Amino acid sequence: MRTRAWAGCLGVLALVTAAGSAGAGQWRDGAELYQKVCGHCHEANVGPVLKGRSLPPEYIQRVVRMGNRAMPAFRPTEIDDATLADVARRISTGAVLARE
Amino acid sequence: MVSKSKALPKGVSAADFDKVVREIRAIVGDEHVLVDEDKLAPYRKIMMPVPDEQHELSASVMPDGVEQIQRIMKVANKYRVPVYPISTGKNLGYGSAAPVQRGQIVMDLRRMNRIIEVDPELCTALVEPGVTYQQLYDYLQEHKLPLWFSCPAPSAIAGPVGNMVDRGVGYTPYGEHFMFSCGMEVVLADGQVLRTGMGAMENSNTWQVFKWGYGPTLDGMFTQSNYGVVTKMGMWLMPAPPDFRPFCIQYPNEADITKIVEALRPLRIAMVIPNAVVIAHTLWEAPCTPVKRADYYTGPGAIPDEAVKKIQADHSIGAWNVYAGLYGTKETNDANWKIIEAVAAGTGGKIITQEASKGSQALQYRFDLMKGKPNLGEFGLYNWRGGGGSIWFAPVSQAKGAETLKQMQMAKTILAKYGFDYVGEFIVGWRDMHHVIDLLYDRSKPEEMEKAYACYDELLHTFAKEGYGMYRANTAFAEKVAATYGPVKRDVEKRLKKALDPNNIIAPGRCGISL
Ligand SMILES: Cc1cc2nc3c(=O)[nH]c(=O)nc-3n(C[C@H](O)[C@H](O)[C@H](O)COP(=O)(O)OP(=O)(O)OC[C@H]3O[C@@H](n4cnc5c(N)ncnc54)[C@H](O)[C@@H]3O)c2cc1C
Ligand code: HEC
Repeated sequence: MRTRAWAGCLGVLALVTAAGSAGAGQWRDGAELYQKVCGHCHEANVGPVLKGRSLPPEYIQRVVRMGNRAMPAFRPTEIDDATLADVARRISTGAVLARE
Repeated sequence: MVSKSKALPKGVSAADFDKVVREIRAIVGDEHVLVDEDKLAPYRKIMMPVPDEQHELSASVMPDGVEQIQRIMKVANKYRVPVYPISTGKNLGYGSAAPVQRGQIVMDLRRMNRIIEVDPELCTALVEPGVTYQQLYDYLQEHKLPLWFSCPAPSAIAGPVGNMVDRGVGYTPYGEHFMFSCGMEVVLADGQVLRTGMGAMENSNTWQVFKWGYGPTLDGMFTQSNYGVVTKMGMWLMPAPPDFRPFCIQYPNEADITKIVEALRPLRIAMVIPNAVVIAHTLWEAPCTPVKRADYYTGPGAIPDEAVKKIQADHSIGAWNVYAGLYGTKETNDANWKIIEAVAAGTGGKIITQEASKGSQALQYRFDLMKGKPNLGEFGLYNWRGGGGSIWFAPVSQAKGAETLKQMQMAKTILAKYGFDYVGEFIVGWRDMHHVIDLLYDRSKPEEMEKAYACYDELLHTFAKEGYGMYRANTAFAEKVAATYGPVKRDVEKRLKKALDPNNIIAPGRCGISL
């Protein structure tokens, strides 16, 4: 019984070699970044709610790069300038921010 | 003059530093070397109770690829400039992305974020340093691979290589991360590329399945050290169990820790409970619930026990909260569940199941971590005192009840002397426990910063006197912590450093190792 249950889980799966498929550019857009990073805190009672406050985009970008007290700083290798500008714009204007 | 770095490496002239910047720019591209102060801001933010200047970097270089790193090593040797490698750079509370010593060039490997291979039959992965746990999680989901990994609490933004080389821990049965790593690729100071274990052989296909290779096993040397730059790491993944049953057992009194540990140890050693159990104190749970400290106490000094009791009653939080899980089939878990129920009943604990946990943020993020689902729920801790100050005080303890009670009381007394709260948990390894305490303070207040520094110092030395050593430490205390482990070990480490990195260019001072 036990063996069957575990085996069923893994089924027939081929080796996945991820050459080129994962990594590199990383963020599709600011919405994805918000969902995968910011939202974990800002939609979860860890950081303050950001949406609907018309926070200036420059301020948002600054906080992300400098960090602020409990808010960690993020480097350009983690979040590129273009995606950061996009997420700041979306938060500021209330544009679509994906959430699971 | 290409550079206006405020923080030149010790003993390096501005003219030579300019040459270094020019030469590494030629290797990685102009845009992948940062020198301007405002661009370096994200690397400078630290949570430790020392001035930012102490850990100020001179520059950041962001290579993409092993060959670039080899060439950077050549430049570093030529000018004797120290480089400090980071992977995902989220070592928050242990030093963040800042170097151990002022002036070092941070080598930021976050761009190297390829998941090179996942083998679903052998349940292994080979990853680069810039891969985050969130990325690996998404990858496994996308490819519909029923494989789990173990991750630390900052999982969504941290990664397996950085965590493993600092010997971090997580919460699944694979929670001791170095133990479940298998094979590394390392660029040495002289530019040679070493593959450990079976990876040393040209055409081996067993690198990710057998750890030891032939002769001495070298992997441990590249953890908590500065003998090389790790560029690839193999890790074991766990097949998702057909039935996963996380639970929490709450206990009403601080002194209950003794019987909790005595009751759980046999289950953990025999692997009835296979994962890294956590025994968390009220004040760890409260900020993650979230409870506001100011609603219970606004006076000076540490929060009084009566206020802590009131928090427990108001929010259904135990004095201690045990988190563990059963990982198996329905049949095996049904059988083992009876043991868990009997142990809880026999020790006066209240079980909270997954169904009953709904609506509690603190329980939810823990249950997610026990199956390796990334989240950042634990950052609620930083709202407790506010002000962004944090260092982890993390001594190792035997998994024995009397020992844990003794450590808890020692820590609580010293913390209170400086006005800080005991925000602690025990992470049960197999026979050990990592006693992890978050020393939370307001970093915007200079007097609190001074107190936090003095408090860690006293904790460290009082614990060392009793024979308790750190499992890991922040970079500001690297030297002091290394000193508690005695002179012979340090002498050997230094001789190794001399042999492998005679110009002292890789992260000198990390874990107290330098020439
Ligand atoms: C709220 C909170 C909860 C936490 N919970 C946990 C937890 O549950 N478990 C845990 O283990 N930690 C925990 N931490 C501490 C820390 O955030 C994690 O351990 C995190 O994984 C470390 O950061 P990183 O993975 O980005 O590693 P990095 O910051 O990239 O690396 C850590 C250090 O290792 C060295 N290093 C990194 N990469 C290399 C390399 N390629 N070659 C050579 N040396 C290298 C460097 O000295 C570097 O500073 C927690 C922190 C916070 C704030
Ligand atoms: C690890 C948790 C965490 C993550 C991830 C995080 N933040 Fe924050 N953030 C915080 C916290 C906590 C604060 C409040 C800091 C304080 O005042 O101590 C904050 C504050 C802020 C502020 C200031 C809000 C104000 O009221 O002035 C902005 C803007 C912000 N974050 C933006 C972002 C963006 C954009 C992202 C994603 C790129 C992000 N944060 C990711 C935790 C987080």
